[in-house]
Amino acid sequence: MNSTELKDFFQEGFFLKNISSETKSDVLKELVQPLVDRGKIKNARLVLEILNKRETLGSTGIGKGVAIPHCRTLVVSDIHIVVGISKKGIRYDAIDKKEVHLIFLIVAPPQEKSNLYLPILGKIVEMVHDSKTRKALMKAEDFSSFIKAIQGG
Amino acid sequence: MTRSQLELLVLYQDINLMLQETEDEEKGIGFRLEGRERLQQAKDELAKKIEPRFLRSYHRLSTRYKHSIAPVQKDTCLGCFAKLPTSYISKGRDDQSIITCEQCGRILYWIE
Repeated sequence: MNSTELKDFFQEGFFLKNISSETKSDVLKELVQPLVDRGKIKNARLVLEILNKRETLGSTGIGKGVAIPHCRTLVVSDIHIVVGISKKGIRYDAIDKKEVHLIFLIVAPPQEKSNLYLPILGKIVEMVHDSKTRKALMKAEDFSSFIKAIQGG
Repeated sequence: MTRSQLELLVLYQDINLMLQETEDEEKGIGFRLEGRERLQQAKDELAKKIEPRFLRSYHRLSTRYKHSIAPVQKDTCLGCFAKLPTSYISKGRDDQSIITCEQCGRILYWIE
């Protein structure tokens, strides 16, 4: 998967530029809510429960201010990515213990035709490992500058 | 809030799948996954809350299918693509009842 293919999975309605939550459990709720509002998820409680179960496996706060909570769940029919940016930072129990400022929520069904869940997850990890891209994503003031940052500026 | 037996089964299936994919996540992508045992314990605890007859049914189905629970969309079982009878539809949407597809036998979960 390349950056151009990845960008097609982001939607303006699922881009939250001012996350207000300050804790992991609150930010997961804040990120799931747009999926509920747009009819992508019927049962938010189940999604939140499986996301929290995923955190027992190991924190999805991968360090350097980034978290990528993710899960497969029967509750959704397609892959969705919700992005959040927090200026003040979220206490997330990240692996480097630093606060999180950029968060990607990925939810996917158990099976998808193109099997893109793991490639998307891998591409986002690769993208945020690049410090220039990561900083540009964190600074994005709107959806178009966010997409521009994904494509390398 | 109390979870229904169907919700517990859906969580059980989701956790099973998560456990199956840990190697891909760890070796393929680089996530640190030190909590496999904790998640396995959570799954075992969850199993205790599921009525034995439903859990038996889930495991019996898992010998035939990759996923014992199939999503329902547009009143169709997405496991076998059979159109479901109207009588199922009113019962199935509330996430409370365990309903199985009369064609493939999978447990049904209405995703819309």
